[in-house]
Amino acid sequence: MSKESESGVGSLQRSGFVVRKERFYGRLIAACAVLTILVTVGIILALSGRALSFWSQISPIAFFTGTSWSPVIAESYGVLPLVSGTLIVTVFSALIALPVGLAAAIYLSEYASDKARSILKPALEILAGVPTVIYGYMALVYVTPMIDSFLPISVQIIPPGVSVLPEFTLVMPSLGTFNALSASIVVGIMIIPMVSSISEDALSAVPDSLRQGGYGLGSTKFDVSTRIVVPSATSGIVASYVLAISRAIGETMAVTMAMGMSPQMPYFPNVLRNLAESSQTITAAMVQIAGADSYGGGPTYEALFALGLTLFAITLTMNILAELVRRRFREEY
Amino acid sequence: MSESDSSPKIQTTIETGDEESRHAPLNARDTVIETRDLDVYYGEEQALDGVSMEINEHDVTALIGPSGCGKSTFLRCINRMNDMIEVCRVEGDVEFGGKNVYDDDVDPVALRRKIGIVFQKPNPFPKSIRDNVAYGLKIQGYEGDIDERVEESLKRAALWDEVKDQLDSSGLDLSGGQQQRLCIARAIAPDPEVILMDEPTSALDPVAASKIEDLIDDLAEEYTVIIVTHNMQQAARISDRTAVFLTGGRLVEYDDTTKIFEDPEEQRVEDYITGKFG
Amino acid sequence: MATEETTSDQLGQSTALRIQQLKGQLFEVALVAATLVGIVSLLVLFAQISNDAFRPRTASSTWFLVYFGTLVAPTAAFTLYARRRPAVRTANALAFAAVFGGLLLSFVTYVVVDALSPYDVFIYAFFASLPPVLVLAYDRTTDERTYTGPLIPVSIIVGVGVAALVDGPISGPLGVAAEWIMYFGLVTVPAALLVAWLTASRRGRRTGAVAGGVVAAGGLAVAVASIAAGVDASLPIVVFSAFAVPTGYVTWWSVKTNPEGRVGIAGPFVILGGVLLGASLVDRLGIESPDSYLTPTLILESWDGLTASNAGVYPQIVGSIIIVGFMAVLAFPVGIGAAIYLEEYAPDTGLRGRLATLLEVNISNLAGVPSVVYGLLGLALFRRTLGFGTGIVVSAAGTLGLLILPIVIVSTQEALRSVPNDLRQGSYGMGASRWQTLREVVLPEAIPGTLTGTILALARAIGETAPLVIIAVATTKYSPPSGLFSSATALPLQIFAASANAKPEFRHGVVPAAAVVLLVLMLLMNATAIVIRNKYGRTN
Repeated sequence: MSKESESGVGSLQRSGFVVRKERFYGRLIAACAVLTILVTVGIILALSGRALSFWSQISPIAFFTGTSWSPVIAESYGVLPLVSGTLIVTVFSALIALPVGLAAAIYLSEYASDKARSILKPALEILAGVPTVIYGYMALVYVTPMIDSFLPISVQIIPPGVSVLPEFTLVMPSLGTFNALSASIVVGIMIIPMVSSISEDALSAVPDSLRQGGYGLGSTKFDVSTRIVVPSATSGIVASYVLAISRAIGETMAVTMAMGMSPQMPYFPNVLRNLAESSQTITAAMVQIAGADSYGGGPTYEALFALGLTLFAITLTMNILAELVRRRFREEY
Repeated sequence: MSESDSSPKIQTTIETGDEESRHAPLNARDTVIETRDLDVYYGEEQALDGVSMEINEHDVTALIGPSGCGKSTFLRCINRMNDMIEVCRVEGDVEFGGKNVYDDDVDPVALRRKIGIVFQKPNPFPKSIRDNVAYGLKIQGYEGDIDERVEESLKRAALWDEVKDQLDSSGLDLSGGQQQRLCIARAIAPDPEVILMDEPTSALDPVAASKIEDLIDDLAEEYTVIIVTHNMQQAARISDRTAVFLTGGRLVEYDDTTKIFEDPEEQRVEDYITGKFG
Repeated sequence: MATEETTSDQLGQSTALRIQQLKGQLFEVALVAATLVGIVSLLVLFAQISNDAFRPRTASSTWFLVYFGTLVAPTAAFTLYARRRPAVRTANALAFAAVFGGLLLSFVTYVVVDALSPYDVFIYAFFASLPPVLVLAYDRTTDERTYTGPLIPVSIIVGVGVAALVDGPISGPLGVAAEWIMYFGLVTVPAALLVAWLTASRRGRRTGAVAGGVVAAGGLAVAVASIAAGVDASLPIVVFSAFAVPTGYVTWWSVKTNPEGRVGIAGPFVILGGVLLGASLVDRLGIESPDSYLTPTLILESWDGLTASNAGVYPQIVGSIIIVGFMAVLAFPVGIGAAIYLEEYAPDTGLRGRLATLLEVNISNLAGVPSVVYGLLGLALFRRTLGFGTGIVVSAAGTLGLLILPIVIVSTQEALRSVPNDLRQGSYGMGASRWQTLREVVLPEAIPGTLTGTILALARAIGETAPLVIIAVATTKYSPPSGLFSSATALPLQIFAASANAKPEFRHGVVPAAAVVLLVLMLLMNATAIVIRNKYGRTN
């Protein structure tokens, strides 16, 4: 083991080739990262070019306020019926997934043993992993008949004796082959894990000292969970809700297969009828246009991109919103 | 109470100091590392304030002081480990063999091949014992017999007899003290000139720590060792020269270890050493 | 005294406290119910779909008895035996991985190579692997890694380029050689090299060479035997190399290293043997089997829209495998590279720090973009901009690749983040550069986490339908894709297309059966990912 007596200046450098090589590697992976920006730019360019061309033929006002969507037959491009279809599915799937997902998150974070958690968490993740085309098929073939066997149900809102208003009964009619109810149910199931896993992260991030403080004051576990932990994690829970809703808005195959392709403005006042009948979401309309390849160019084909841009704008806004809410919650502790 | 507690402490230090008097006096050896007016900032906060210091070849130099005094920061400046901290800013010179290591033409990677470091918490790689020791050789493209160097380094780190039959088992299977000696073997395998040690025994039990201390004494024959410690007795036992840092990142006193522990110039140093604060 | 009594009263169970407790218990029950409701409804739906696919009610009770005797009872007995013996369980797990992994690998290799033409695949594989092998050999002789590191990927790219050039002229003359020789080169040679390398690293070079030689000779023997028996040797060679060789190696390894657990090797064979024995009994005794749609026809034939019992999804399965496989080749390197940049290279502050923050936000937004929108991107990029044909493998794989990119990046980032910083510090302190630290310390530690994430991304991709519909991938095709630029179809698309068929034998028969195939693929991938994650979590 001989040692040089003096460390020369040259020995404090590495071979130029090695340094250049590693700088090149660094740039290469930086390029990979920058590519993700290009994907976003690509999406915006791909969508906006044709969408603008579409809106130069069909006025955006007619597009966003029109109440009839019939691209082929009537050449009317009013997006409101599609928005209505998307809203119906989103609202009803959220009614299922938001409470259920939050409850699951509270259970996993506050109550479940390690063993139960190690089984239940992956099991819940499976809910989001099942291909949506299978959800759609199950909704169409199994869920609809199963639920239909209980229908129709009438709920009297105003008792018959009251004569001030005309008698009004809320009727849940029998389901059509394609209906929003079974679509909403399967979409609700598939977005449960979205709510539960992000909410659970937020609940687990609540410091134990807060819980200890609660117990120290003589609170029960129920009180600690509902009055201390959940309120402290509100922003995380809200973020999970927003992301789950955004996912429901963008869901495609399940709603296309289970809800059908007949765009409808919402029924009122018997809102339950909206669930029982077929309608069409924005995404389902896109699948329909893309599936009929023969349109080639033309406004119908370009409407595909206009719908895509609308959808992209909605979900992007919601994701950014969720990110902002989540960032606030990260700063809390 | 504190008086009677600290007086035996001084006694031991004096005794060890006497034993160590074989070491050469100040300036008799070549200077390996020299810092001039070294200021270090973490963002707005100043961690080192105008530290000027010369470190001699083949000395064991101890850096002591209360926590947060900047001694670890100083250590990490020497082989530019501070480069990893983005908010860290260094002003002044750190010369290694007459060359300022913060010059633009110095590659920190090449610098660290000359100045190795051992950390507070033993951090062997999740690889076999052999691969741990051979790591530095491999990344530097060593062209000789790697197995031979592995054996030599493990022997020098006083670990060979304990692990020679299990060179292929994971370094993580060893005890804490053995892991730290493995880290020392790993650091000396590529034959650096200086070894920095950042509180190398503070995570170990006393028996394992004393083995490391013996080892440091042996290492000084071949290498220049700079060790940060919060244990003053350790500094007194193993070092030739001691630098005392006090709060604010100032080097307060730097002298032969015997001098520091027997007859420090500064009242503050004496107070610190006798346990009046710190 | 009196005050003391009141205190102890208060510490006891007052009515109010009991009501509170009841409330707490009810709350917990509600929470459990909510956690389970999704899982249970999914299980009910799975039960219905598999009932329609498998139709167990059409079988006679003797059929169930036979399989209970040959399959269920032995497997249960073996499981009970193995449960309390960790050594047996270890051997069993290894054997399971080797046997069923080997069977799956054989199937995938054979169908993919067969679809793409063995001659072409052989030419590409040969020219892509020869240059890096030469570089590695040179590396061995000189111990010089400065140039060989970057040379390996470059040489692979050059090799693929050369293959593309010479493919046309060579594949003609090469066609003289029998197909099985191509399979021998594609599967048996790598298997032999792998066995040789594994054995050599444990038992020395000489044993390694002998072991590799034995595998190669075995492959030749299988070929000769098949030809003598008048069978095409291709499939036997693939099964030998991808199934028999790993099974044999694992068996040998378990017997050598885990003598008390070696009974565990029998695990997978109890199941396989039970299935085969049951089938032969049912056949011999003429027992009424279920009129199932989960048959070899489903896996090996192509679609028939008129007769459900003739309908199969072979082209769809092969199409899905090729699309997803090529997608992995396209997306994983980029995704992992991007994750490495963000975790290991990008600074936190300054201009580039802000760029990194922008990239992070952008990636999390991309993860939330609906999959149909990726379909539109694929449409614009591959069909409009690059002018590719409709529904070809490259477009489908590229579109899905863009879709899973954020998933791969985020999961790889998590894996990298879980590598302790101590190790990085240790490596830098030894004078390792960032790249060396990454290659030698960080990446090896992050492999299990990365693997989990990538497998989950594959599972997501294989079920993805909407973007493929948008880029107009054909729903039904009668042959698998013959190349990367040939048109393909995928399994979920067939399910989508066939869901419109209202005939009961489709709606409650062959379509659920196809869905079961897709579900099994997806669940297998998820299970593998979970197993890797758990194993990794335990060692940490």
